[in-house]
Amino acid sequence: MNTRRLRRYVEDLLRGRRPRPFPADERQAAEVRAAIALRAARPGGGAPREDFVAALHRRLATEFGTAAPSPATRPPTRRRVVQVASVAAAAAAVGGAGGAALDHALTGTGAGTDAGTGPGVTLRPNSGTWHTVAASADLAEGTVLAFDAGTLNGFVERTGGRLSAVSGVCTHLGCRLRLNATATELACPCHNAAFALGGELLRHQLPTVPAPLPHLAVREVDGAVQVFLP
Amino acid sequence: MTGPWVRDRHEVVQVAGREPSRIRGDTGTGEMPRLHLVGPDSYADWEAIYRDNVERVYRLMFRRVGNRSDAEDLTTEVFLAALGPLRTSASVGEVRAYLLTTARSVLAGHWRRTFGQQITTIDGDRFEDVLSEAPVNDAAAVRADRILAALPDRYRRILQLRFLEACTVKEAAEEMGITVGNAKVLQHRALREAAAVNERLAP
Repeated sequence: MNTRRLRRYVEDLLRGRRPRPFPADERQAAEVRAAIALRAARPGGGAPREDFVAALHRRLATEFGTAAPSPATRPPTRRRVVQVASVAAAAAAVGGAGGAALDHALTGTGAGTDAGTGPGVTLRPNSGTWHTVAASADLAEGTVLAFDAGTLNGFVERTGGRLSAVSGVCTHLGCRLRLNATATELACPCHNAAFALGGELLRHQLPTVPAPLPHLAVREVDGAVQVFLP
Repeated sequence: MTGPWVRDRHEVVQVAGREPSRIRGDTGTGEMPRLHLVGPDSYADWEAIYRDNVERVYRLMFRRVGNRSDAEDLTTEVFLAALGPLRTSASVGEVRAYLLTTARSVLAGHWRRTFGQQITTIDGDRFEDVLSEAPVNDAAAVRADRILAALPDRYRRILQLRFLEACTVKEAAEEMGITVGNAKVLQHRALREAAAVNERLAP
């Protein structure tokens, strides 16, 4: 059966898709290694996409820089594009220890919710403000955007004309979730739990069922998508 | 340029890393931060570090994961992890050495998370050797050529068509005048043989 998964891994590599790992024995690991060595030699394959370089630049600017991200380098939205939204400087400045503490607090099972299934609680900080996490224009129907506001990171989605936002931290042990390649679910890199973009638990391999992701209040004002954050 | 970079430039170097002994100039006594004058071989700010190295780091990763999605994620991880501690007047050499150290541990973490074993590694301690893979994927091409050269003709041909020339199975089968089923079997056997060759070659 793992032979089939090896074949699929190789096929994904060949088609330029993100390959899925599997429990490989030594011989299979060697085949994966050889497939990578050959695939990496395909002419023109090793250069980064301009869109990626620009998007990472903007993300680093929100983390490390003072300069505002340049609109000129904004990549076109083609499909369900993942972009890291630039966040108001004030939100970024909050950062640090407060963020870590809050991430940790969010990992507790939400009071009053059924573990795993059903919608998560909506996080309403005692003293919060609305932070712009994206321009409306960047969040087209069917798009998901990741944001990191220092105190909190998460994902905003526009689907069926409605905005929703969830925390981007796994409710098991607090690892940061990743949007999968098809932008349909949030995967935890630590223990393979996965959540829907609405926060519901999709699957897990844990002895106790993790809580759904907390929702965040989200609104749209003057062409800006805003999330209510501490 | 504005920001903390300028403020830091005549103060101290604080190249904090998990493996500080790998960083050039570290005395190994743990006496960091040290005083360090800014020379001509230092970066103006984080953006200069990023622009100068993003392609190098990406290519480094792409060669070791073979797909864009993972290479992009790992490149992101390297810069997010490295730029914080590097907010200093570190020299170009120190910055690249630190990027390389970070890349090595990011890649190791990736394989640990996904396969539970190291599928590929970043070998070599000198960033000149490793990061100079940047301009063209020569090193990858040389490696692939060495693997292919050791294979029987039909094995070499199917792998060339599929891996290097981006043919579908159907196209490769037509090109070789065989059925799609045969092309699949041939590819599986060829890759198995290529793996054996690859393992025998020095890293």
